[in-house]
Formats: sequence, C-alpha cells, structure tokens
Amino acid sequence: MISSLDQMVEKVLNPDKMHTIAVAWAQDINTVGALSRAVDNGFVQAIMTGRNGEIKNVCNKLGIDHTKFDIIDIDDETEAADEAVRLTRNGNADIVMKGLVGTDKFLKAVMDKESGLMIPGAVISYVCAIEISSYHKLLFITDPAVIPNPNLEQKVAMANYAIEMASKFGIEKPKVALVGASEKPGRHFQYSDDYHEMCRMADEGIIKNCIMDGPLDLFLACDKQSVEIKGVNTPVQGDADILLFPSLESSNPFYKSLMLFAKGELAGLIRGTEKPVIVMSRSESEKSKYYCIALACLMA
Amino acid sequence: MVLKSLSDLRNIVAGGPKKKLVLAAAQDQHSLSAVVRAWKDDIIEPILIGDKEGIQNICSVNNYDISGLRIIHEPGLEMSVEMSVKMVNNKEGDILMKGKVGTSTLLKCVLNKEWGLRTGNLLSHFALFEVETYPKVIAVTDVAMNIAPNLRDKIAIINNSVNCLIQLGYEMPKVAVLGAVEMVNENMEATLDAALLSKMNQRDQIKNCIIDGPLAFDNAVSLESAKHKGIRSDIAGDTDLLLMPDIEVGNVLYKSLVFFAKAKVASVILGARVPIVLTSRSDSEQAKYDSILLSAAASK
Repeated sequence: MISSLDQMVEKVLNPDKMHTIAVAWAQDINTVGALSRAVDNGFVQAIMTGRNGEIKNVCNKLGIDHTKFDIIDIDDETEAADEAVRLTRNGNADIVMKGLVGTDKFLKAVMDKESGLMIPGAVISYVCAIEISSYHKLLFITDPAVIPNPNLEQKVAMANYAIEMASKFGIEKPKVALVGASEKPGRHFQYSDDYHEMCRMADEGIIKNCIMDGPLDLFLACDKQSVEIKGVNTPVQGDADILLFPSLESSNPFYKSLMLFAKGELAGLIRGTEKPVIVMSRSESEKSKYYCIALACLMA
Repeated sequence: MVLKSLSDLRNIVAGGPKKKLVLAAAQDQHSLSAVVRAWKDDIIEPILIGDKEGIQNICSVNNYDISGLRIIHEPGLEMSVEMSVKMVNNKEGDILMKGKVGTSTLLKCVLNKEWGLRTGNLLSHFALFEVETYPKVIAVTDVAMNIAPNLRDKIAIINNSVNCLIQLGYEMPKVAVLGAVEMVNENMEATLDAALLSKMNQRDQIKNCIIDGPLAFDNAVSLESAKHKGIRSDIAGDTDLLLMPDIEVGNVLYKSLVFFAKAKVASVILGARVPIVLTSRSDSEQAKYDSILLSAAASK
C-alpha cells in the first residue's frame, strides 16, 4: 500500500512503459522545474507547447538543459493549449498538463466535444490526495476545484473517482465520509437526501468497494476520539480515507486551509477524461506539481 | 492593536474590574473545571447556579477548592437557567455560561421577551483561532449558530464581530468575505453577497472595518497567493476576520483548523446584552478556559 506521496513517486519510478506529458503554455518556473525532475528521474518524457524563447529562458534561469524537452514553438496561449490537448488525443502524449495558461482556456480545450478529451457522458471532476502531518494517513478529497454544487449523479461519480484513485494506492475498501456540518441529517442541509441515497447505494453494492457513511462532520470522519466521546455508531470510525464534500464552497477553503495552515502537500487530477489531465493553480509549488505528474503516471 | 495570541487577551482583562460570570446549571464537570481555573487565575468572579450538592460533589471528587465561591441552590435545570438569565438581566452578572443544560433551553431563556437578554441584534457565534502558521489571531464567524444567513443576517454578523474586535482593541479590523472563488459568479450566491457587503462598506453602510470579498481562503490569508493571482485587495494576506457563507462551510473550516492545523480556539456568542459562553463536550479543556477569557475581554 502507498501511504505517502513520496512512496507514490517511488511506485512510478522505473515504469514498464515511459509516459509522455504534453504541457500547455509551458513557460512557468514551477512547471518546468517539476518536469525537469520527473524527466531526470526517468519516468516521463515531456513535449512543451509555448514560446520557444521564453521556455528556454526559464530553463536557463533554473540551470536546466532545455534539450531534455521537445519544444513546439507556438506564440498564442489558446493555440498552445489546443495543441497540447491534440497531441494527447492523437496518442503522441499520454497525459496533458496545464502550464501558465489560464485554467478556463485550458479546460475549454480539454472539454471540447470534438477535439477534447471528454469521455462522452462522463462527469468531469477533481480528486486529490493530501498528505498532512496531523493525520495518520493520506486523505483523498473530492471535489475542491471543479463542480460548484454537485447533484446526486455527480456526487456518485465523485465518490467512484476517489475510490478508484484510492485503489491505485492499494487501499482496497476505502472508508468514505460524506462530509456535513453535523452527523444529523436535516431539511436545511441540502446534502441530506443525496447522502442518504448514496449510503443506500453503497449498501446495495451499486457504489462498490468502499465503506460509506454520512453525513459526518470532520471530527467524526477523521478523529477516533470524537467518535468515542460522542458515541456515534459509524463504520468510518474516525478513520476516513476519502472525504466527499457537498459543495465547492466548503471543499475549497478546507483544502486550502490544509495546504496553508496545516502545511499539507497534495497531488491531484481531473477525472472523467480519456487520459489524465493535470490542472494546478499557478501558485502551487514545484513539489506539488511534481507529485501531480507522478500521480498522473500512476493513473495513466 | 491586534492580538498575536489568545494569551494576549489576559492583558485586556488584567486592566479592568473583574467580571461576574454566571454559570447556569453549574453541576457540570466540563464547565466547572474551566470556570474554577479561570477564577483561580483572577480572570472572572463566578456565580454558580444549580444543584448545590451536585456542584459540591463534582468539586470534591475533582479536588476543586471552591471555598469562598458564591453558589445559589436551584435544583431544577430550567429554573436554574431562568434564574441565571434574570440575574444577568438585573445587571448582577456580566457573562452568561452554559452548564449541564441543552443549548436550546439556554437560548430560549436568553430570547425571552420579558426578562431575557435581547438587544434587537441577531445572535451570532464568534471564534478566535491561534494557528502557528498565521502571524496573528484570526477571527472566524459564524461557524455554529446561523445556518444559512442572508445578506441582512451577514451584515448583523459582521457588526457583532467588528464591535467585539473593537472592544478587544482593534481599530479597523480587516474583514474577508469568504468564497470558493475570488470572482463574482452569478451562480454562487455567496459571491454576490460578498460583493454587496464590500460595496456597502465602501459607502459607509457598514462601518468601522475594511471589508473585501469574495476572497478565496488562500487569498484572504496569504499575500503571496493573492499576488500570484494578480488580485488587488487592501486586506489580502492580512485578514483579521473571516466571514463564512454558511454553517456548512464554517463548520468544516473550524474543525479543519482545530484538528488538522492544531489551532487553539476561543469562542463566544455575541448579540445578546452580554457575551454568552457555550462550550461543548468535545471542546478541549484549554478551549473552554480560553472561551471564558475571551468572554471576559469582550464584556463591556
């Protein structure tokens, strides 16, 4: 079982098949730095789209030999994103990654019905694995980035993506906590009905390979002591692997508080696409971007 | 002045006359332990109302020396709450605290039209967090009381909190209205409210503070993140008070800070004639003590 992000990287070192990443509008310091490390460690090849001169400048600044990357010189941000997606769609690359291009332009290229990477009918969502010193294992979180107010169908898809990712980490029956403000469902909490339905679906094996319960507040999801003090009977038992949130409004500040105040590290991916898609905020560190590349290889 | 840590509250309390804290249904070990400790540290002058024998038993079992402490015998739970509220109403107490009685029972008495503690303001929950990874104390509201505040409620919640911060020595507290994103999005009501609150502040409809929002969590607490995203804001990275869009978000953030970021927390209910301390069984010993300290500092 993979129990840290560094172990995840070890797992993808020495792959049977080398993965190729297409990077959209690549002239970003943290992105180039992370890719350089991944290439040096021998688990990916990179094709970069963007301004040739600027990419080489970034390489020079970092003291990196730019000849380790294939660079496709494109002068326009949107065209660079389209080209990176096209390369991936055509099979020249296995993974596509956002560089300095705006997230909306990048996702537009990814989600284009004709030339993008959408699986027809699939829900597009985001899952990340977070490592925090104050928790005894990795936490998988969904969805802190893409779906503002998921409906039942989207919540089920989110759960399945997270369960699938956890299984790649060797977690066979992850404990899924459906997060709410309290363990008591209530009419004023819109998630209550969906959570009830999801627990039923898990019981009946419609959602497979997990132990699911909710609503649970964060303490009952992640703190065994709280479960004992409150005497709540929950199969998650304060030992959650996966936290599913009812809205972007609650998941986004949660994951940011973990990153900034609890000094977490993360690796995350877009799910619901034909090939792994790496989208990270421009402000994420080189280390987080490196972890994302390794995660994409694990999932590819 | 801004608070660097919760222990700075002691300096505020040390300067003034000792406040009288009325503990309703005082036969409760969880609250008694913190009240007795705060009394020994000269922070408050407690008045214990409740079952005298029960109170004395708890104190002798736990070796709390309460000689010299005022105890008023009233074995009925609801009666003891009523008596406590009436005492505060008669200006014989400066702070109300909940003992062995449900929150709803206590609030029902607080809101009594004849002898309660109404001011016409909304009641709201106000919490101070001390996190190692932020250079000062950060206030968060409302994580526990108002489930889904509308714009009018949010104004009242800000006013309660700003008045409290000013009482604690702040001059123009910086208020970040939290959103999942920093752009106004017509599909996300919280971002619309945030924009309105900011404009109302600019027009002096909400005074004595600087409001900006919507701000995502990272932009509110990290100048670096805000700069990366190119956000112009007078308060980015220097937030004193974070306004939550609703209890769903507030509850998650509160628990994330306490559990994952190992924050120290003090909290109090504002909007009544006096500060009200409502602690729960799952609060740590220190959190209960710090909440009493905060209520003493917030008492006028």
